[in-house]
Amino acid sequence: MQRMIRNGLAGIAAVIIGSTAGLAEGSDLVVLDWSGFDDEGFYQGYLEKHGTPPSYSFFGEEEEAFKKLRAGFAADVAHPCSQSISKWHEAGLLEPLQIDRIERWDDVNANMKEAFNFDGNYYMLPVDWGTTAIAYMPDRIQAEDVETLQIFLDPDYAQQISLPDNVDDVYALAFLATGVSDWTTASEDDFARASAWLRDAHRNVRTYWRDGAELSQLLASGEVSIAWAWNETPTTMRLDGVNVGYNRSPVEGSSTWFCGYVDLAGGPGDESLVYDFFNAWLEARSAEYIVNEWGYGHGNQAAVDALGSDVLDAAGLGAVSVPILFQSPMDNSLREKMIAEFELIKTGF
Amino acid sequence: MVQAGLFHMILRSCRRAVAPSPGLVLISPPFLYALILLAAPIVGVVMLSFWSQDFLEIQRDFTFANYQTAWTERVYQVLMLRSIKVALLVTVATVLLAFPMAYFLSFHIPKRRKQLWLFLITIPFWTSYLVRIFLWKVILGYNGVINGTLTTLGIIDEPLRFILYNQAAVVMTLSHAWAPFAVLPIYVALEKIDRSLLEASVDLGDGPLRRFFRITLPLAMPGVVAAVLIVFIPTVGDYITPNLVGGPNGLMIANMIEVQFKKANNDPLGAALALSAMALVGTMALLFIWATRKYLRSPS
Repeated sequence: MQRMIRNGLAGIAAVIIGSTAGLAEGSDLVVLDWSGFDDEGFYQGYLEKHGTPPSYSFFGEEEEAFKKLRAGFAADVAHPCSQSISKWHEAGLLEPLQIDRIERWDDVNANMKEAFNFDGNYYMLPVDWGTTAIAYMPDRIQAEDVETLQIFLDPDYAQQISLPDNVDDVYALAFLATGVSDWTTASEDDFARASAWLRDAHRNVRTYWRDGAELSQLLASGEVSIAWAWNETPTTMRLDGVNVGYNRSPVEGSSTWFCGYVDLAGGPGDESLVYDFFNAWLEARSAEYIVNEWGYGHGNQAAVDALGSDVLDAAGLGAVSVPILFQSPMDNSLREKMIAEFELIKTGF
Repeated sequence: MVQAGLFHMILRSCRRAVAPSPGLVLISPPFLYALILLAAPIVGVVMLSFWSQDFLEIQRDFTFANYQTAWTERVYQVLMLRSIKVALLVTVATVLLAFPMAYFLSFHIPKRRKQLWLFLITIPFWTSYLVRIFLWKVILGYNGVINGTLTTLGIIDEPLRFILYNQAAVVMTLSHAWAPFAVLPIYVALEKIDRSLLEASVDLGDGPLRRFFRITLPLAMPGVVAAVLIVFIPTVGDYITPNLVGGPNGLMIANMIEVQFKKANNDPLGAALALSAMALVGTMALLFIWATRKYLRSPS
């Protein structure tokens, strides 16, 4: 609980400091990142080589980062997630990765890196990933009730449910619940069915959660009992001693998402710093750190596999036998429609 | 003699032409500041609202389509009406709660203590707005202060869910945040009331109630009007509070404006919504001033 509050407050403080002060003092590399990702455990190799951490500027959501970059903010690397890359690419913000300068490129998760192979150039170095599935409080919810995603429609649990305020995770849920596990092939009808399902689920929603710390508080305080959650939340809550269940194997399936670093075009810093930073991130100790301390997966697949299935299962990252909706990039026009529809649903339309 | 007089006249007119009058010198820095930081961005937003956007590209062809969407689509109408409803409720609650505070401060606190009391009223401003909103989450939450107290006292068995994550929570949080802004103008208006008028009304047979409604309230109206405007105008556009305590049915127009500028990639529609909200709020404020104009005339 204390850790949770501390994380939450640190997050808020980071957002406030990040938005007012802009940059923390550091060496010449400028990193535009999610608040909290300046954790030194992620880039020990960079610290050892250069002595000082990179300068960080933080964002709370990707659209904010996108606007900031488009308005002319100069940074060397940024940390968007899979759904934003093609938009950033189209806006001309990215330059291709020089993969020969990335030491462990062959160990990087193949699915994830190939997702951003545009015309033979790679644009994103996947570093963190996670799963989205059902988190529930076992003292109030029976494990057999969360064997299906339809629990989110159950009127018995009205006002005890929280869904993510994140269009990708929420549509991953809706597509899975309506029988689609690959959204890159989703048709208009599939989209309409998923939207209708979300409209039904909206009636049961107490509030839409925006970050892991908020969801932890919602679950731990009893405000909600069931949530469509990132695996990070149960992992960190268990470290706080809260008993929370996480089911990645409801019959309809669950989802995985991933994020990574991009090399921004026209960054002010030295390119060699960029690749030192990337290489530090891909070290095995960074992978071990992010899995154990943050409950996220890591882009270095070889290092993740080396941790063993016990560790991965405990963190909610292991293999499951149900369908998995991999949040691979989709057609921008479908995504635009999803965004517009989700805003309507959230407003009650 | 004549020459000297002429010389002085020329000198004076030269000086007037070269050095601007002190008034202009004083006003130009703030005027420039307002022009660059307020007028220029508004002009930009006005222009944006007549353009359109295709994914990432802004199309600079003149169009009314954004305004048509903003005024005819159901979702924007609902959000606009909801924002005005919430802002009106906040204004009424704030002014009704602030008036007794201001009255007490003006009429019942000894003169030498008034400064101290004014200072105490500003205490809520010692913490950030964000922290105050989180405080309300703690008070209204499922295992929060109110639910905890009521359950311990045995008044309720199950914690109440209807007090957080809805419009009522938004109204409550905003009313608390804006209370000092309402207390101060009302207090100033009450302070200016000539106390002999109150004595005169009692001498002429008014009871306390009649005295209040015939003398005190009408004379305090300029303060009340100021308080109403100060609270109503900014609360219509608040988006942090509905975001944090509003839940699914508490979102307001400003949240939708934010969505248009960020996720929805539709800056022009966001601009049109913002300007529509501004026009609506401006009209309502002017109507309110017009309706209360008889109280606002200076006694002359």
